[in-house]
Formats: sequence, C-alpha cells, structure tokens
Amino acid sequence: MICVDNSEWMRNCDYPPSRFLAQADAVNLVCGVKTESNPENTVGLMAMAGKDVRVLVAPTSDVVKILFCMHGLEVEGEANLTAAIQVAQLALKHRQNKNQHQRIVVFVGSPVRDEKNVLEEIGKKLKRNNVSLDVVDFGESDDRKPEKLEALVAAVNSGGNSHIIHVPPGKTALSDVLISSPIITGEDEGSASAAAASGASRFEFGVDPELALVLRLSVEDERARQEAAAKKDAEESSKAETKGESSTSDTGTVMAEAEIASNTSLEDMKCKLKDEIDLLRKAQEMLLEVEENSGKDTGSETANAADCEMSDGASDDMDLTLALQLSIQKGKTGAQSSKVFEDQSSVTSIIDSVRSEA
Amino acid sequence: MAAAAPAAAPAAAAAPAPTVPAPQVPRGQVDLVDFVDWSGVECLNQDSSHTVVNALKQGYRDDEGLYLASDSDEQLLIYIPFMQVVKLHSALFKGPEEEGPKTIKLFSNKEHMGFSNVSDYPPSDSLNLSSNHLVENKLVQLKYVKFQNVRSLTIFVDNNQSGSDVSKIQKIALYGTTVDTTNMKDLKKIEEH
Repeated sequence: MICVDNSEWMRNCDYPPSRFLAQADAVNLVCGVKTESNPENTVGLMAMAGKDVRVLVAPTSDVVKILFCMHGLEVEGEANLTAAIQVAQLALKHRQNKNQHQRIVVFVGSPVRDEKNVLEEIGKKLKRNNVSLDVVDFGESDDRKPEKLEALVAAVNSGGNSHIIHVPPGKTALSDVLISSPIITGEDEGSASAAAASGASRFEFGVDPELALVLRLSVEDERARQEAAAKKDAEESSKAETKGESSTSDTGTVMAEAEIASNTSLEDMKCKLKDEIDLLRKAQEMLLEVEENSGKDTGSETANAADCEMSDGASDDMDLTLALQLSIQKGKTGAQSSKVFEDQSSVTSIIDSVRSEA
Repeated sequence: MAAAAPAAAPAAAAAPAPTVPAPQVPRGQVDLVDFVDWSGVECLNQDSSHTVVNALKQGYRDDEGLYLASDSDEQLLIYIPFMQVVKLHSALFKGPEEEGPKTIKLFSNKEHMGFSNVSDYPPSDSLNLSSNHLVENKLVQLKYVKFQNVRSLTIFVDNNQSGSDVSKIQKIALYGTTVDTTNMKDLKKIEEH
C-alpha cells in the first residue's frame, strides 16, 4: 500500500522538477518493481493530505490504474501521517488474497507533527499485525523528523523487513536514489533485476515489457539474418572474383560471370532478402508506432531514447525502401540482373555501414 | 505403560523426585500434529527468533530450549489449518511457570483472524490454565461437541501466568481424531518426556 504525500509542502522545487513530480516518478518506480517481481503482487495507492486521508486505488495488479490516479492527484492540505498509516493497515487487512504479505510504503515530504511515542505505538501495532513498513524521508527536514521516523521504523521492524531512507534535496532524482535502496532491492531480489525491470519499463513506456523484449529480439533476429544474407552475397562476389582472372576493380565483367555461373542461387538469395526486408520493415514500423506513443510521455530520458531509435529507424527505413525498390525492379527486368546485382551489393554495403553506426 | 484413562496423568509416584510424567495419549485419540497443514500456519505477534514452529513441530516442541515467544506484548494469535477435517478432544500446553499462557481462547474454523476481531465472536472454547497444566503435562479437556468439524483452529493467548510482557510456550499438542477414518488399529501411542 503506497501512501503519497500530496500536501502543500510538495509544491517546492528543491527536488527537480518539483517534489510532487519527483514523488510521482518514485511511485511509478515502486509500482513497476513490485508488480514485476511477482505476478501475484498487488499495489494500492492512498493520499495522505487533502480534506481526508483517502484510499485512491485498492490493492490491484494493474499498474496503469495507479499511474492514472497519480496523474490526476491534486496538491492540497496537510498530511496526516498516523491516520494514513492506520487507514493503510485497514485497507491491507481487507485485501483479497490473504496469503499476501502486508507492506506499507510511505513518502513523507511534509514535517511530522505527531509525537515520537505516538509513532512508536503505531509501529508496535503494525508489528503485531505482521505488517512491514518502508519510509521515504524527503522534502521538509527539521531536527526531529528523521529521529521520529527512525523510531517508527524501529518499532515496526521485525527481522529487517522494514526500512527507512533519507533523501536530501539535490540534483539526483528521487527514484534514482530509491533504486539502490533496500526499499526497491528488497529482501531477495538483486538490484540488477530491479534495474533491468526499471530499464525495460523506461525503454518501452506504456508497453508491456515482455512485448518490448519480444520486439527487440525479433528485430535483432532480422538483423542477424540480413547480416548472414549480406555475408553470403559478399562470399558470392568474392568467389566470382576468384573465378574471373580480372581484379576486383572490373566489377562489370566479374558480375556478369558470376551471374551466369550461379543465377539460380542469386535469385533465391534475392527472394530471401526481400522477405527479410519485409519482415524487418514491419518490425520497424511496430517499433516506431510504439515509440510514438512513448515519446509523448514524461521523462526526458525516454524522449531521448525514443529520438535515438527513431533516427536509426529512419535511416534503416530509407535503405529498406531502396532495397525494396531494387528488388521490385529486378522482378521486372530479368535482363538487367547484372546491374541489379551491382546495386544490391551497394545496398548491402549501405546496410553494413548503417549497422556499424548503430 | 498401560494406556491409562484419559486426562489426568499419573502423579510422579514411582519416579525419583520431580520428573515430569509422560503425557498419556487419551484412548481413541491421535496426536494431530501429523495433520497440520504447515504451509498455512501463522502466528501474529511472535518473536522472529522464537517462532510458532518451535511449539508445534515434532522434534522442536520436545526441545526444552526451543519455545514460542511473543514480541510486542503478551498476546499471541496462532492460526493452525489442518489437512483434513478433524475432531478435537483435548490439548496439552507446556511452558514456563511464569511466562506460560493463562487464558486461552480457541476458535474453530475462523480464517485469518486479527487481534481486533478476537472479541467479535464468542470462542468455541475458553481455557484457563494453571501452572500445573504447564509443568505437569496435564491434558486439558476441550468441549468436544464444539470441535466436531474442525478445518482450522485459532488459538488466542490472552495473557500469561505472571502477567509479564512476554508469553512463552514450549509445546502445544492437540489430540483428537480425523473425521474420515477412525481406525483404532492405527492409533499411535506417543511417549514423551
């Protein structure tokens, strides 16, 4: 159960871009990591400030619902930490799957008004009911706040299941600090898997990370196959050159000889290449579509990543159209196959150069 | 030893000085430890280094050094599901004289209770243990009629003998029969120290 601080204290911009947005990013991260680490995990969301402490999203495995809620959340009022924790505990008590372990993640950005002993009482109650607590201490920091929160977590802690992390204001994003903290790395999952999960989700934002992986694999497969086809072409041309006594400079006659010698195999290769190009094109299109959707979303990193991919895609696209056109041409004019072959070798060389760039 | 009548274990007559007499499994009953569904056993407010396994499992519960201890306060809530439906006849609790449990409430077939709703339902049975029960392996008779169809048992330890902050239980043994088969020939007689 994630408790977000949406009090007026969150308007401050000492955590870029603003405390509230940094917190939203962090919530996104926690949601993603939790739901990806175990398919049976559920995450809920509640707001601590405003007119009342309220549950925004009951525990669910649908991350999109939570993100949507975060997006629409308003900054208002004062946060009530004790009430929030108690409501969170109640919400967890009524979870659907009673076998799930109960955990509350609290983002405390405003100053803590409650006394230390009250917090300790609450902590004890959580421990009795087997609920663990993670606290992210950021934002306002007076002298007693870290001490109070430490006492709270110490009261709940039973065998290292509860953690607290203090994040001072600065350039590093809240979510970056969280990634390496035990709140994300947790008890058994390593930071590598969590980083991979967050990396994957950042790469293909809004798309199922499994789909992203499949897309990536298929694109790589196509590239590998194209490479193999290109190598075959190169081999054929080199064989042709050795057959003909003339040097590599005289491509015209060599190509003609090669063409005569192994016409059928060339045809096959060209057909294969055309098929592969089609497939690759489709994959690229899908990829571009996805990035168009992701490009609109938050985070300059995602935008940058999308930009890079788009430029690569664009250049590949041009080559592909060129290659397609050539192969269509070849279909029409059988006699000019030598010319086509020449062009095709240039096409493959272009593809090689693009691949070396990418 | 001949199977004595159920309940009261014989006083330490023949043995030298104060040895604890072995509990006699009541006639017709079986130790239900074999029917406990261990994957579902839970205990609220247990100390993580002294868990409920120490009090329930065969082997652990006989070790004097291993016990179940409470954490924040003296109450404990133990949830024991069974692999099949059983009838409960009697129970045995073993613990230290001071910190052993005093008032125990038993709830049959109530899943996942919390400390907040122990007072919501009337208990299936309520036990008041004395230090004799804890030390002398005295079996406690349960209200048999209330435990005819038990899928899961919740044991709520309300307080302990001396009123200290920590409750300790060394052993919990449940005796009864399974509903499906009551094969008298399979009865195991367990002699424990």
